[in-house]
Amino acid sequence: MSIELRQVSKKFGEYCALNSVDLTIADGEFVAVLGPSGCGKTTLLRLLAGFEQPTTGEIYMDQVQVAKKGFAIPPEKRKIGMVFQAFALWPHMNVMEHIRFPIRHHKETPGHIRKNEKDHISKILSMVGLSKFEKRMPHELSGGQKQRVALARAIAAEPALLLMDEPLSSLDAMLRMEMRREIQTLHRQTGTSVVYVTHDQGEALAMADRIVVMKNGSIEQVGSPEEIYRTPHTEFVAKFVSRANLAHGKWKDDVFVPNGCEDTLQWQGKHVASYFKSSGMFPVRPDQIQLAPAHKPGIQGEVVNVQFQGKDFHYHIQSHDGQWEIYSPLSFRLKEKVTLNLIETQ
Amino acid sequence: MNDPSLQKSGDKRDGQEVYPNLLSVSFLIGKKLVILLSIALLIFFFLVPIGKLIYLSLMTKTGISFGYYTEIIQQTRTWRTLKDTFVIVMGSTLLSVFLGIITAWLMAYSDLKHKRALHLGLLLSFILPSYVLTLSWSSFMGSQGLMADLLQQFNSDAKPWSMYSYGGIIFVMGIHHFPLVYMLTVDVLKKIPRDMEWASRASGAGKVKCFFLITLPMALPGVAAGGLLAFLAGLDNFGIPAFLGIPVNISVLSTLIYEEIIGFGPSAFAKGASLSVMLGIFAVIGIILQWIAVHKNKNSDTVLMDENPRYELGKHRIWIGALLWSFLMLITVVPVFSMILTSLKKAYGLPFKLSNLTFSHYNYILFENPKVWQSIQNSLILSVTTLMICLILGTALAYFRVRHPSWYTRTAEIVIGIPFALPGIVFGLAMILTWMEPIPGWNPDIYGTVRILFIAYVCRFLILQVRASITAFMQIDVSMEEAAHISGANGWGKWIFVLLPLLLPGLLSGAFLVFLTALTELTVSALLWSSGSQTIGVTIFNYEQAGNTVYSTALSSLILALIMLGMAVLLVLQKAQKQKGVQS
Repeated sequence: MSIELRQVSKKFGEYCALNSVDLTIADGEFVAVLGPSGCGKTTLLRLLAGFEQPTTGEIYMDQVQVAKKGFAIPPEKRKIGMVFQAFALWPHMNVMEHIRFPIRHHKETPGHIRKNEKDHISKILSMVGLSKFEKRMPHELSGGQKQRVALARAIAAEPALLLMDEPLSSLDAMLRMEMRREIQTLHRQTGTSVVYVTHDQGEALAMADRIVVMKNGSIEQVGSPEEIYRTPHTEFVAKFVSRANLAHGKWKDDVFVPNGCEDTLQWQGKHVASYFKSSGMFPVRPDQIQLAPAHKPGIQGEVVNVQFQGKDFHYHIQSHDGQWEIYSPLSFRLKEKVTLNLIETQ
Repeated sequence: MNDPSLQKSGDKRDGQEVYPNLLSVSFLIGKKLVILLSIALLIFFFLVPIGKLIYLSLMTKTGISFGYYTEIIQQTRTWRTLKDTFVIVMGSTLLSVFLGIITAWLMAYSDLKHKRALHLGLLLSFILPSYVLTLSWSSFMGSQGLMADLLQQFNSDAKPWSMYSYGGIIFVMGIHHFPLVYMLTVDVLKKIPRDMEWASRASGAGKVKCFFLITLPMALPGVAAGGLLAFLAGLDNFGIPAFLGIPVNISVLSTLIYEEIIGFGPSAFAKGASLSVMLGIFAVIGIILQWIAVHKNKNSDTVLMDENPRYELGKHRIWIGALLWSFLMLITVVPVFSMILTSLKKAYGLPFKLSNLTFSHYNYILFENPKVWQSIQNSLILSVTTLMICLILGTALAYFRVRHPSWYTRTAEIVIGIPFALPGIVFGLAMILTWMEPIPGWNPDIYGTVRILFIAYVCRFLILQVRASITAFMQIDVSMEEAAHISGANGWGKWIFVLLPLLLPGLLSGAFLVFLTALTELTVSALLWSSGSQTIGVTIFNYEQAGNTVYSTALSSLILALIMLGMAVLLVLQKAQKQKGVQS
């Protein structure tokens, strides 16, 4: 399903949860909406589901208007599936009944599914790996299994759009990795459009075709995971998605000279967004900095904190420009003096 | 907001809506109409009676004045009644608080065994209708009762203490209402974090000091709320002072109003109304204080209950447990047993012997006396109808109250609570005054028939279902409902397959409470009944007033059997639900 949001705003009383959002989602696309809590991402999802009406603006699904000011087609009349944050499984229904429910109640359920309900249910069950659990009640399932039931219910009636509201946030770290792969597989198998809301940049980067970064009810940047990660357009995206440090200095065309290194350093920055060029900043990700012993050419700093992480060390380094977060495989001691240099491999 | 009738307007692709769509306008008007209509009904059924009561208490022959009030205040009987009401209600409240705190502490903190059974046992004396408890105690302590027999064994001159006295009324009222204090206190106690007590123990306070300096002050809002509830229940209670007080000329406000109305004096209704307003004011003060006590407690709402025992009774556990069990047996089971024995005796006054026992009284009340059978039918029809109406109306209101909270639904809940919050006798009189002539010049033949009982029961007990349904809805997360919408279920599908199965246990226990309360109701019916529309409570009351103790005890025993049957059915239903996994 293709989706188009035109100038959509949503106010709750005086509070503006969503501020003139324009967004198009192509058929079959996996879009992650990424942002901290309170950025309006859940409101966006609830507008797409039809639980809320926009205060202004319009929403189109497959070129049909589904919502505008004071009007919204209710969720049960949209061809959508949804996975809720805390799963929202019905405690009185077993796994099979959960999957059967949307098949029986959705008016949009394709005829071939209705006719072969049993086969379809067992197909869905095997897709999510729950074939042996069809008679289990929700309280007899583990967290990951509940998540799979929620997924199965959401895709059972072959929706054209699948909405996911932080679906992995109530699972532990190991399961989360596993479920990421399963959600990707499901997306490939079903080919539905997916809108996936999350505050975890790792999830968004790993799964999405496109990421929408939001802050305070507005879209900050839209782009492929690589674009978002490598060429952030705003300070917020740089810090939130790639945990970038912001070096201060002077730009001359595509060349950046950090403050205090006027004669010694020149960083090539063709890819850096114009916002940073005009405000004299250079976003540097923690893994883009090379550490070397002190008094080499480069920015001079001192290790103020170090955490061993296995494959590398996470350092906090104090320089005259402020504190840097840097990942490096080399070992330095606390309070040791070091030299910082950009790794030029872009 | 997701109304399908609005959908038409959305099919037009033009974004700007210049002409408001006809359908949506009519829908808006419809919604406004429904709201206006419900406001009108709420005012008519719930507020007008109170207004009418106040109006009639002020309406003297010479116009609006405090004439009836001054007349009442000058009567010595009024002052004596006020003093008696105060002594009885305060005395019974103190007894309830005392028993409530001790039992709550034991249940919350000690390591007594079989706490679930004990909990039910503790609630029993409140579940029994007050007049059944009263009859049990009066037959137990009566000159022919089990206690007298027991005392005879020791001393042939010994006689049990008469229940027809201040002490008797205070005692029965105290044991009837202490479960209220117990229930509110035990919750608060369980919510006190145990490290509060550990901190005081670590600071050097002993167990006893710790209880009086830390535990009790922290539990005070719960104790106060429970105590005030017991106080209000005491003001409201009619059965106990009517059965035990009227024969020996002890009156409290509720029985005085009853006697005033039944006495049909020249200005009976007006004087009754003035007394009712006075009683109503006392009740309102109590309600406000109770509300404050409960809301002081609100910050502990999020604290989890700690169900684990905190104090090991050790070698004392056995005798403390035995003591508590025997106490519970003594206040309910033994007197009830005594009452059943009385109802089986061939004639009142015969000693307990197998040869003196008979079922003839049951035979008489069930098969030979059509009036009793009629009253059982009346009560059953009344309570089933009340249950159905309350279940539908109350659940609908609760749904809006929880899912669409607004000042309107909040106010509606308060207004619906008024008839239950007011003492029953006050509400009963207000009903008479309202429905004798609802609109001047129009007498719809409601007062003096069974219809007024229907109206009164629904108005008075609706709030019980509303509260139970609200609790049931609160336990269901909104996402459960949203998941149903997403899965394509609108109105009916959502309710039948998702909401109702989840709500059922909560709704049923509310409905059962309504049914039970209506089935055993006495206070309101005592004022509103007329020949042909007598209820079970009224019939028992009339037998007792006429001195037919064997019949009143037999009918009470029957009621008791009905209650037990109902509770067993409810328990089975809830267990069946639990097995389906609903409450896990």
